Amino acid sequence: MITRIHHVGLVVQDADEALKFWRDVIGLEVTDDRVIDDQGVRGVLLKIGNSEVELLEPTREDTGVARFLETRGEGMHHLCFESDDVAKELETAASKGIELIDQSPRPGLAGMIGFLHPKSNHGVLVEFATPIEGAH
Amino acid sequence: MGIGATHIDHVVISSNHSAKTAELFSKTYDIEIKRTMSRPGTGAHMEFAKLDEVVLEFAGPGEPPEGEDPRARLSGFVFAVDDIDAAVKTIRDAGYEVTEPKPAVQPGAKIAAVKSGTNGVPFALIQYGAHEG
Repeated sequence: MITRIHHVGLVVQDADEALKFWRDVIGLEVTDDRVIDDQGVRGVLLKIGNSEVELLEPTREDTGVARFLETRGEGMHHLCFESDDVAKELETAASKGIELIDQSPRPGLAGMIGFLHPKSNHGVLVEFATPIEGAH
Repeated sequence: MGIGATHIDHVVISSNHSAKTAELFSKTYDIEIKRTMSRPGTGAHMEFAKLDEVVLEFAGPGEPPEGEDPRARLSGFVFAVDDIDAAVKTIRDAGYEVTEPKPAVQPGAKIAAVKSGTNGVPFALIQYGAHEG
């Protein structure tokens, strides 16, 4: 069951530069800041209320985030719904004809995550996340 | 420092057919559309869902183009603040651009758009209960 918007993902050229605005001026608290090597990104989570903003900076050129940055520039990348059971959400979405990017949950910055293909969502990239202990 | 943002007030999904996109999200993700609004004279049609404290807004033209497949994109978010005038001053003092707060569509609310520093994200602030008198 989807319970809330976990985060909104933004692709940025330089996370340190972006933090000068979102953290230092807007005042959002950084709750996680990690390089995820296998995904080729640095991800920074910033808390606001019960949700978060996720900054994604590509660390390699052969990733979806890097291609997004190259073709579209900085901006909003995806919307993440929090669920208590990512696997079940993926299964339900597939049963409704939604094309999955991730066939099963995998670890991500927000916990166990799974992405759905934007072409099944009128062009919007959607993620499910189930936070795990120590995640957000 | 900071602007006293309390939560994400809403996230906007723009679509050339907002009703169809709202219906897709509603059926696929079991999200209830709580409100629908068409603004006479503006040609806009909006549908709203609420997830916890965040409103998900589907916005598009009042008369969707015929024969085109629905196309949507994330097109901005709005943070709620307790004091929009103080928030605007903080942002300006830090060297970023933000518009003067003005009455919002929501009754009694004021809104201001942040014009720089946002990493390409359309970003605004809203304060409820901000109108004087």
